[in-house]
Amino acid sequence: MSSLHAAQIEQIAAWLAATDIGLLELRGPGQMLLLRHDGAGVEVVDVVQTDGAAAPAAPVLHTVNAPSVGVFLHRHPLREDTLAAPGSAVRAGQALGLLQVGLLLLPVLAPADATVLELLVAHGTVVGYGTQLFALQGAAPHGPRT
Amino acid sequence: MIEILSTGALATVQDLGRAGALRWGVGTAGAMDPLALAAGNILLGNDEGAAGVEVPVFPFRVRFGADTALAITGADVDARLDEQPLLPWVAVQARAGQVLHLSLPRRGAVWPASRAYLCLAGGVDVPAVLGSRSTQLRGAFGGLDGRALRQGDTLRAGAADRQPLAGLGLVPPALAMPLQVDGLPAVRVLPAAEYTHYTEASRAAFWAEPWKITAQSDRYGYRLDGRPLEALAAIEMRSHGIVPGVIQVPPGGQPIVQMRDAQPSGGYPKLGTVIEADLWRLGQAPVGSRVRFVECDWDSALAALAETRRWLDEVHRLVGLQRLQRG
Repeated sequence: MSSLHAAQIEQIAAWLAATDIGLLELRGPGQMLLLRHDGAGVEVVDVVQTDGAAAPAAPVLHTVNAPSVGVFLHRHPLREDTLAAPGSAVRAGQALGLLQVGLLLLPVLAPADATVLELLVAHGTVVGYGTQLFALQGAAPHGPRT
Repeated sequence: MIEILSTGALATVQDLGRAGALRWGVGTAGAMDPLALAAGNILLGNDEGAAGVEVPVFPFRVRFGADTALAITGADVDARLDEQPLLPWVAVQARAGQVLHLSLPRRGAVWPASRAYLCLAGGVDVPAVLGSRSTQLRGAFGGLDGRALRQGDTLRAGAADRQPLAGLGLVPPALAMPLQVDGLPAVRVLPAAEYTHYTEASRAAFWAEPWKITAQSDRYGYRLDGRPLEALAAIEMRSHGIVPGVIQVPPGGQPIVQMRDAQPSGGYPKLGTVIEADLWRLGQAPVGSRVRFVECDWDSALAALAETRRWLDEVHRLVGLQRLQRG
């Protein structure tokens, strides 16, 4: 995929708007595109230019999904600080958020060292299995650790 | 095995208490917040009544001599495992050599609490005395040599029964079963034998006004500060059996609530008794904080105890389901 023009991104956004897909992540050698569709409209979350194949270690955009059905919490119920605010650096295995299932709290873990781009669901929202919760930028989730 | 690297005063080994020993004049001892200890144990797959370490003074540091699963429950003390911050009320796997650091409970926290519990998979393995591992400070037995922990002490964990579920956490009961009056933590009280020996104004004020927990408060009892309670006439009593929760009124009129290390008998008149189901709330109330008392009757005291039991049963059920899911 060569670099996308603004018109092309607009076209992709229009296609996305006609679906019930919530988040579109498009990766190419020269560029990465993340579009979010909240039901009302499509928003360009991020467009990242990379050096293409010459730079395999370039930042990768990925999402972290709900490991279970539950109430998504940005912070521990005893605390007022957000576990992983946008812009913060997180380590692989760190709890980014919590899913409350009855009295239980299940951690939503960072798959790799990364930077949090966005929290995709509001604090206290009931989410289903696989709901996209975080957009992260960092090493590929299953790639080699550096 | 864990080694105590640093401790303030009065960190002790406690389980749910030495029930049934009052007949020999031996107090119950046991965790000031038994729900926190039981919950930590359930997270780790232990029996609810396994022993843990109650930590009332911070900082507190231990080093793990072997790979051990642990949970810190009770007050949120910003626990760290080496440099890794831990969430409160969550099971964690520690590796041999790692150091656990507990700091002061958070000020102005969502839940103001004063005591943290360090629970270990397998429980703290000290000899049971009269059926309990709780430290009996007055009698100097139970726990580790009948005393508070000191720097350099080592504690062994028992054999862990089940695979710990690292990362699994609980919503603390203070949030799941809140009890507040006018924004202050509250506990329910049954009027006791000498309740009617106090003036109507005193009794009304006891329920209507906040009571401050003074610095003369510890595992033995909490001395409260508020509007002095006035007796209708001087009360002379012989010593009689008392239990944790009993609210005594010395001649000065400032009440004392007997806590887990209460002696088994006393001679002051009794205004009321904090119900068993709410002792954990008072056990966590920090020195200097204020609490409210709510009048209750026998049936609602039993209902409150049943609610606590249901909470623990639900925790058991949900943790068990997680264990099944993770295989």
